[in-house]
Amino acid sequence: MAQAAQLPIITHYTAYKPRPFTREQRDETTILYGGLTWKHERMMQGALHNLKYKAEPLPNIAREDLDAGKELIDVGACCPTIFTTGSLVNFLKKEVNEHGKDKVNSKYVFLTAGACGPCRFGQYHESYAMALDGLGLRDFRLFLLAQDELDQGPGNGGGLDINMPMSLGIIWSILCGDLVTDLEYMTRPYEVNPGQTELVLRECVEQMYDRFLHRPDKGKKYGTLAWHLMSSYFTRALRDVRKKWDAIEVDHLRVKAKVKITGEFWLQTHEGEGNYNIKRWLESEESEVIAPPVAVWLHYLMHPTIRKLEHRNAKSKHPKVENLALHALERIYRGTYNRFRKALANLPHELPDQEELKSLAEPFYHFELRGGEGHMLIGKALHSYHHKTAHMICELSPYSCMPNTMSIGSMANVVGKYPDLLYAPIEVKGDAEVHALSRCQMILTEAKKRAQAEFEGVMDKTGLTEKAIRAYEDKHPETRKATYYVPHRAYAGGAANYVAHLAYDKGLARA
Amino acid sequence: MRFPTLPIWSAKKRSVASVPKDKNKDRSQVRVGIPKVLNIWTTHQFWVGFLKSIGIESENIVFSSDTSEEQGREFGKGRGTVDCCYPVKAISGHYGELVFGQKKKINILLSPMIHSLPSVLHGHVVDTVTCTRVMAGPENIKAGFLKERDVFGEAGITYASPFVSLGDRHMVTEQLHTSLKDVFNLELEETERAVKAGFEALDSFTEKARKQSRDILTWCAKNQKPCILVLARPYHMDTGIGHEIEGDLQAHGYPILWLQYLPGDEDLMNWLFEADMQMGRIKSPFDISDVWMSSYSSNTNEIMWGAKVAARCPWITCVVRLSSYECGMDQPTYTPTQKIVEATGTLFFKFGDLDSTKPAGGIKIRIETIVHYLAKYSQKIMQQKLEWLSPNCPLGPLPAFAPPDAVQEGPAVAQQVHSSPS
Repeated sequence: MAQAAQLPIITHYTAYKPRPFTREQRDETTILYGGLTWKHERMMQGALHNLKYKAEPLPNIAREDLDAGKELIDVGACCPTIFTTGSLVNFLKKEVNEHGKDKVNSKYVFLTAGACGPCRFGQYHESYAMALDGLGLRDFRLFLLAQDELDQGPGNGGGLDINMPMSLGIIWSILCGDLVTDLEYMTRPYEVNPGQTELVLRECVEQMYDRFLHRPDKGKKYGTLAWHLMSSYFTRALRDVRKKWDAIEVDHLRVKAKVKITGEFWLQTHEGEGNYNIKRWLESEESEVIAPPVAVWLHYLMHPTIRKLEHRNAKSKHPKVENLALHALERIYRGTYNRFRKALANLPHELPDQEELKSLAEPFYHFELRGGEGHMLIGKALHSYHHKTAHMICELSPYSCMPNTMSIGSMANVVGKYPDLLYAPIEVKGDAEVHALSRCQMILTEAKKRAQAEFEGVMDKTGLTEKAIRAYEDKHPETRKATYYVPHRAYAGGAANYVAHLAYDKGLARA
Repeated sequence: MRFPTLPIWSAKKRSVASVPKDKNKDRSQVRVGIPKVLNIWTTHQFWVGFLKSIGIESENIVFSSDTSEEQGREFGKGRGTVDCCYPVKAISGHYGELVFGQKKKINILLSPMIHSLPSVLHGHVVDTVTCTRVMAGPENIKAGFLKERDVFGEAGITYASPFVSLGDRHMVTEQLHTSLKDVFNLELEETERAVKAGFEALDSFTEKARKQSRDILTWCAKNQKPCILVLARPYHMDTGIGHEIEGDLQAHGYPILWLQYLPGDEDLMNWLFEADMQMGRIKSPFDISDVWMSSYSSNTNEIMWGAKVAARCPWITCVVRLSSYECGMDQPTYTPTQKIVEATGTLFFKFGDLDSTKPAGGIKIRIETIVHYLAKYSQKIMQQKLEWLSPNCPLGPLPAFAPPDAVQEGPAVAQQVHSSPS
């Protein structure tokens, strides 16, 4: 082997490895991040500012990002990869033009989620690295945040300490972001004063940012975990949100087709040009959108049955104890989400039971098939169908998405068994808006008919008239508030449930 | 004996699933069809060994034919449920052929969902799981045969699609017993024996194939001749998916190595990666962390490793990269693999976006180009790459290179080049 020292070294392509980000650089360095909605990102910013990080979300995705991404990464990428890479590229280009490469390399680091598994989502950073090469910014620092470790420690220089306070801050901001988003989508289609929901929403998000910003320091480990789980700090904040939401006047009698959004993680979460602004478009087409919470994805990742495969090569001395701990963690997680829901008058939707999603999907898609949302897309569609929570499912799938195409294919079997399930799989390329919206419109037309028929059916059945309901509302103004809780009865549509509620729970049918 | 009334006479024959358990487990008459698709191409011996161990006769293990457009037209028409890469889409034709195209009917259609794969890189990478589409392909294809009516049931066929982690051997017995016990009336001990037999058959086959690859390299070293490495996924061995591109090159006199059966012998690998390990760039010859951090996908990992081997191995003077249309796993590797291979002057040719139709004209022209470059540059590439390595080649003593002209116009190569229409 002595000779080897004299051998020439072959120099070839190497994987991107970021320069260290040191503790000393933290005060002068801004952490960039993105990929969620502006609400989630703003609350996350509060959590990061609270930990004395400078942090800034990337600008929301725009159509130009698709072109920028396509220019710099290998051909054939899925549109979330292209959009997110393009977004980073365009931001960096602008910054380089203003401040130069050296300044950009020292001023920013980019933090993104790293996913386990074989899907391209787990390889996004390879595309980012390729784009950095293309921009001549190989020295720019990009770090991965593992989704399944709360305490990853101060890695690569100590500038970024992914510890318990940071992870919990991020997770709590995601949960709060989800709940506020859910409120937003269930309110806006019914608001009496156009734009009021948006105004209140912005106010609430700023208030939540402030709460995250002033989150008390409870230590680095279990102290902070216990505080997050036990404290009423965030529930009080959410109760304040509810109070603000009280001010929004709504008309529950508007008949809307309820559309549940499912699909690939980034596309279903995104609000903007990356998915043709489809959520807003659906609202403009007389629909109520059920936005997918990020919390469902986190729940899926931590569910003990689902995670069994992740532990197949674990060398733990106490696997049973670990499994019990995981069960407990899953319960605590759901409990926390429900605690937050309660603070919002239980208005936001409950997290679906992962065991139920699994068993519903089982005849069609094996739950251990990894990648993307796995069996959940089928499970969610059937969950919604059986529980009558939506008139139709709109599944957003990136063009050439590997896992999504498989579950869409398997949905053919589901639709064969449940022919009245309205299912619109929408392939998103980023630049074929008319085609995608037109496909959605076809199914939506049927969904709207069903919503109308359902409403008329319940009006006939209860014998109520709009006049009688309006008269009741005049006497009970709380029913016109966005925070008025309408229990779910046997209907998918909000208006039908509202009529049934007034008829049977409030006694209007007898009157 | 029961009187043969019309209902009894016309009743469907029982499928294996309905064979009573007390029929002493004689499985000699049971016919099992396996679609020859995706990762079956590198794991077929496991399934043969497994089935033979539980008493299925060799002649009753039926693999579908190679993929072809005719197969898809005849047996898979109308069964597709979504647009995706051809290697997955084509499975409908394989299922259809096994269900409708057998003179002697099969009883069971066995289409495993392979979650992880045995790999030479096991232990050196994060994981060895399969592509998400490959893993879930059977669920997707199954839908096309069940969406309107149960085609399998109507044909008296039991559909079995076990989820199995072949890369994690300790899990396989439990997985296969859980999913196949009712299909074959299996006991746990029996399954354990069959899994053992399956892996023995697979290991023996893989070892033999790797030995043959080493023999090819030894021959190349002894004669200072070049060979070609095919950097592709296992199913590109299917003539209907890889379009026999490597066969056309072989016809020009160049030995072909497949990535999946590259020799992983310690002596050879240590020789190729000696300098990298000395420098501390990698911990072992199978460590790919220097070029690929997200090393989850088994076939992707091997492609990256194969590119590194090709860049270093003197006699691999050309890499042919095959990739199917819409392959999301290959997509992020296009540039890295090309850059790795070409770093040492090794020739790199990519046949991308392969689909159902063989672009015969285009392939022919490109084969001629490849052959031309191989003839012109192979000797130089081999000499150059040997300079990066220690003289202690484990493949034996290396002869001196022939004068450049003699190699460029070597009989086999020259003959093929000259006989090709220009």
